[in-house]
Amino acid sequence: MFKDSNDHCWLKKLAVLALGVILFCPALSHAYTGVTIILSAPSQAYLEFVDHFKDELILTKNTALRVKVIDMQETERPVVAENSELVIALGVKALEAASKLKFTTPVLGVYTPLPSFNSLLAVSGRDLGNFSAIVLDQPYARQMLLIKTLLPEAKNVGVMLGKTSSQYNELIRDAGEKKAINISIETINQESELIPKLQKLLDDNDAIMAIPDPMVYSRETAQPILLTTYRHQKPVFGYSQSYVRAGALAAVYSKTRQLAKQAAEIAVRTQAAPGLLPPPQTPKYFSLSINYQVARSLNVIVADEEKLYKKLLEAEATQNE
Amino acid sequence: MKRFTNKETCCGLLAAVILALADGMAHAEEGNPIMSEDDYIGDVPKVLTVSRLSQAAADVPSAVTVIDRETIRASGIIDLPEIFRLVPGMYVGANAGYVYNTNHTVSYHGMTTAYAGSMQVMINGRSVYSPLFGGVNWSELPIAIVDIERIEVTRGPNAASYGANSYFGVINIITQSPLETPNNSVIATHGSGRNEVFYRHAVKQDALNYRFTAGYRQDDGLDNRNDFKRTRFLNTQADYRLGVNDALELEFGMADGARGEGNLANDPFVFLPRTKQINNHYQLIRWRHHISDTSDFTLQAFHSYDKSDDETTSVNLRPVLGTLLGPIIVNDNVYINNTVVQERADIEAQQTFALGKQIRAVWGGSVRQDSVYAPNYLDSNKTDYFNLQRVFGHVEWRANEKLTLNAGAMMEHNDFTGTDISPRVSLNFKPHPNHTFRIGSSSALRTPNYVEEKFRDRLVIPTKLVNPNTLIFQYRANQGNLDPERIISREIGYLGKIGRFELDARLFSDQIDDVIRDSDITDFKVPAKSLLLNPFLDDDVTGDVNRGGARVEGLEFQAKWQISRNTNLLVNHSYVHIRQTTDGLKRDFPNSAPRNTFSSLLTHRFNRQWDASLAYYQVSKANLLGDGDEIDLIRKSDFRIARKFESGRWNGEVNMVIENLFNNHYEEFAEYNTFKRRGRVNVRLDF
Repeated sequence: MFKDSNDHCWLKKLAVLALGVILFCPALSHAYTGVTIILSAPSQAYLEFVDHFKDELILTKNTALRVKVIDMQETERPVVAENSELVIALGVKALEAASKLKFTTPVLGVYTPLPSFNSLLAVSGRDLGNFSAIVLDQPYARQMLLIKTLLPEAKNVGVMLGKTSSQYNELIRDAGEKKAINISIETINQESELIPKLQKLLDDNDAIMAIPDPMVYSRETAQPILLTTYRHQKPVFGYSQSYVRAGALAAVYSKTRQLAKQAAEIAVRTQAAPGLLPPPQTPKYFSLSINYQVARSLNVIVADEEKLYKKLLEAEATQNE
Repeated sequence: MKRFTNKETCCGLLAAVILALADGMAHAEEGNPIMSEDDYIGDVPKVLTVSRLSQAAADVPSAVTVIDRETIRASGIIDLPEIFRLVPGMYVGANAGYVYNTNHTVSYHGMTTAYAGSMQVMINGRSVYSPLFGGVNWSELPIAIVDIERIEVTRGPNAASYGANSYFGVINIITQSPLETPNNSVIATHGSGRNEVFYRHAVKQDALNYRFTAGYRQDDGLDNRNDFKRTRFLNTQADYRLGVNDALELEFGMADGARGEGNLANDPFVFLPRTKQINNHYQLIRWRHHISDTSDFTLQAFHSYDKSDDETTSVNLRPVLGTLLGPIIVNDNVYINNTVVQERADIEAQQTFALGKQIRAVWGGSVRQDSVYAPNYLDSNKTDYFNLQRVFGHVEWRANEKLTLNAGAMMEHNDFTGTDISPRVSLNFKPHPNHTFRIGSSSALRTPNYVEEKFRDRLVIPTKLVNPNTLIFQYRANQGNLDPERIISREIGYLGKIGRFELDARLFSDQIDDVIRDSDITDFKVPAKSLLLNPFLDDDVTGDVNRGGARVEGLEFQAKWQISRNTNLLVNHSYVHIRQTTDGLKRDFPNSAPRNTFSSLLTHRFNRQWDASLAYYQVSKANLLGDGDEIDLIRKSDFRIARKFESGRWNGEVNMVIENLFNNHYEEFAEYNTFKRRGRVNVRLDF
């Protein structure tokens, strides 16, 4: 049912949805005067996020918004001046806590995997209008674009999905189809299937595209997956900078600064109408990471990172026109 | 930064959200573990470190044939060395020989003897060529073909990278890692004169992964030859991750069994048909340390032990020696302890690093001690030691996208020939990512082996007289002091890919000097109070000398064509011409390589279950050295058909192989090795 690729159709549905949100929102609250950022843990990335977020507000001259920070490791239940603040939750733990706040408090999750956001949305029973996220998942179309840019000749790409990620089966296929990439999918139900199914994919595909799923990609499976694909002399497209460092050929990912910029934009844009958070979205700004050592060993000729990045940006712009 | 409104993605994502909403509740209720951000952005240990990344084929300084698991499966071979028939320029001959070696002989570009030993052969980086004769007792390796993941064959000398004995080529056998091995696997084969059964087991835990293979092989050998082989073996391989930056790899293996040896047609007097025992084992430990993103360190140590437990008693020699000498000998029969024990201990350290995006380098050093105990051959009851030290370095410089320069050298010092340097250099030009031209020169040395340097075996028959008190039949009388044989190899290569067609072609010219060869010894000093039997038996005393030079020139290619998604064709051809450049070679030397060798493998997958393959081999006439004969043209076709089955936990395959489909009775290596049609059935069950 979601195979429909017509954008307009979706825009219409989106409009209906937005209308629904407006109509059924219990009480429209007032414009917020501050932002509370809840950290799942005081990790370096999250602390940097806060700094970048503040910088972004200053840069765009939105200094009126106060920024408060709550660390989940210090408080069990974050206390927020509900109704007058936007809550930005960094990480799943923070988002879970935030989902329990009053429904009128707008909550924006950042550093949240899409499946986790979906679960929390369902469990909390909140509405999309005041519960949204910039998910960690890069758009599949962007990942396909990356594959096509690096391996123009690639026609078949293998994907391993686990229990959690298997729901995106059709979306991934569609994204591939649009780039003339045939996606083969193997679903991993238990760990012992991992390598045999990967080998099966490697026999028939030009590359492997990694989709995060704890069943498939973890610290423990990185070695067998990367070694096996390398033995087949085929590249893996990763989902994080860390996976690229480990041995994937390339990945698109978003840096803290980029996520902070997007979050700040949302904060500023929705300040006047807090009940109208935009729908959950994928990272708008992204970076590119390439493992040149791996490229060299696989004899993949890869242009300069900056050049490639530009190319990707342009291709994505054309694609969205 | 440019701004985007990613409509398509937003919609797609929203669809995903709504989709999830529909069954999100269910998911949550099932207690599906919620994913954390750590699953996306958490640290992942570095796997493909610089030392694990090999050079891309287009950057490699030499011609390399890679035979993968699938090709090995499709070839239907049962003896490991048979696979080298799919390497252009390689000669493979099964040989039911008569002294010490009843194994396949494998050689590249000629100089083929029963003891062909001019290649470096490694299993997972562990050198397995014999210190005694430089070759490999293939049937005694504790390995099953199903253990092999990949074989890389460097065609041409590559001492700078692979060290000692990397003379005509390098064979590197890489086994399957525990991670890729099925948890349990049983493989059984039954066929003409062959029965085999293997059990493989793999355990995958967080930090420790290991596998082992245990097997039994029964090979009845050729008709009319005493060359049966019974082999039991075990091999294990374990990977242990010590942390993010350190890993240990451990290997252990052992084999033992009985071997038929001795053939009346070749020696009816002394080395009579008998059964000998072999046993061997090895241990290896490797520490991989990840220094930084651009630098790795590896330290490896291994030990191997090889024993051939062989004793023989001659026939009654009185009638053989005739009426004059027969009556004077003390005993009718002579007993010979022909035991051979070889050991090797080797430690190697190396560092691989990258300097920027353009330079990759490796350097290191190793020390090795080989020892040989062979009372009969060395004419001594003492164990003899051979020490070797080497340092090596290799740099790959990618000047730009189109040009790669490789340069390297090895400096080696050993007890037999002293200190020498083997350099190499080559330039790869890639006008297009799919087309590479390579021009290079590589030099290497072949240190004489124990047979050539130290063999002084003789038959000693005590007499009742005071003078002569012994009768001596002297086989070899080496005094040592040989120089290493030298090769300078020059080549122009091409590596290309057009659509689904891949070609690897090479034009080569190798200059070989100081050839080590057998020669009659005219100044043999007969020990006091001894009588030398050789002149009476019309037999000469032989020894090894450096004499003569040759040029080996030719052209070879390897083509792979993926005819369709399910059909693949592999074709190899090699044309080799050997001519003498310095006088003194053996007469047959220029004919010691077949002028043309051709091999092809056609594979087709009918559907998910069924696949078949047809291999064809053609080897032109050659005159093989050292125990070999003049052998006619060989034509051989092998057919294999397989059916895979999958049923959840139980997967496997049943296949049937018919070797020499048209039943051409051909000879390999020597006249006594006659091959007829053979068939076998193989069953594999993974669970």
